[in-house]
Amino acid sequence: MKWQIKEIDIYLQAKEYVDTAIIPLIPISWGNDIKSTVQMGEFIHLISDELERQFKGRVFQFPPYTYLKTEKLEERLIKMNEWHEHLKDSGFHHIIYLTSDVDWKQIESDLNDTLLWVPSIPLEHLDQKYKVETLSNQIKQMIPILTNKWQKNENETN
Amino acid sequence: MSEKDHKVSRRQFLNYSLTGVGGFMAAGITLPLVRFALDPALKVGEETEMVAVAQVNELTNEPKRFDFKVNQVDAWYESEVSRSAWVYEEDGKIVALSPVCTHLGCTVDWDASGDHPNRFFCPCHYGAFEKDGTNVDRTPPTQPLFLYDQEVRNGTLYLGRPRPQV
Ligand code: FES
Repeated sequence: MKWQIKEIDIYLQAKEYVDTAIIPLIPISWGNDIKSTVQMGEFIHLISDELERQFKGRVFQFPPYTYLKTEKLEERLIKMNEWHEHLKDSGFHHIIYLTSDVDWKQIESDLNDTLLWVPSIPLEHLDQKYKVETLSNQIKQMIPILTNKWQKNENETN
Repeated sequence: MSEKDHKVSRRQFLNYSLTGVGGFMAAGITLPLVRFALDPALKVGEETEMVAVAQVNELTNEPKRFDFKVNQVDAWYESEVSRSAWVYEEDGKIVALSPVCTHLGCTVDWDASGDHPNRFFCPCHYGAFEKDGTNVDRTPPTQPLFLYDQEVRNGTLYLGRPRPQV
């Protein structure tokens, strides 16, 4: 489900079915690496939209957490753990952080729950057909990560 | 009338001229807003165009997934959105089903679960549908998968809007 008021109405009626939050992590910097930074943001945006479409009924797509590239890892970690705690308390059992920024890999084990790191692919020179193909290949690899996570959780609670 | 009546003081002059300019500016701002606000309303009810999705000769009686894009207008924001369809041909008839699970909208997959061979399966809350889209009892969905409007022209399959099967 999306961050939209009409989706919230559906959510409120079907809360018990929606247990997974997707949080895109998007870096910002306005230096020499401006192009690669924007590319990361755009790429993650596309991927998270597509994941939302795939899993609309179980996943809530949050607005991205944006941060300056210079922001310290420890600080980002503190923030994300605050988000995590808040969302857990609000009924989300699974939280997926989605990013192209490799920095997060360093603190992956300190994050509560799952980091999905996908290196961004330059899409701007591909024509529409390859763009769709490239993206759906990425998505195909991510689908089992989510479904297995759900399955595992259900096996444990059963 | 005395001369005095005709004299426009500096203050008055500024007042008049600023009101004039302000009014002019306000008109400049409001008019386009009105136009934007009305535009989408005028477009409501417009039929979704039919989009070329597949060649008829690539269809078999095993459902295959095709992805395509349609233009969607949401208020005054027009965007391209992704759609998919599960399409197969059986007894000379083409069936194009929407992959959107009728429970809460996840995307269903064909023949993807060991528990439901030759059925559409929804990974979110394990909904299942028969090949023709009928929802399987005792799984969360309560109605069949939607069926796309379709049209074949020169060997190409065009799809329109997904509609509930009644
Ligand atoms: S969204 Fe498909 S079973 Fe719930």
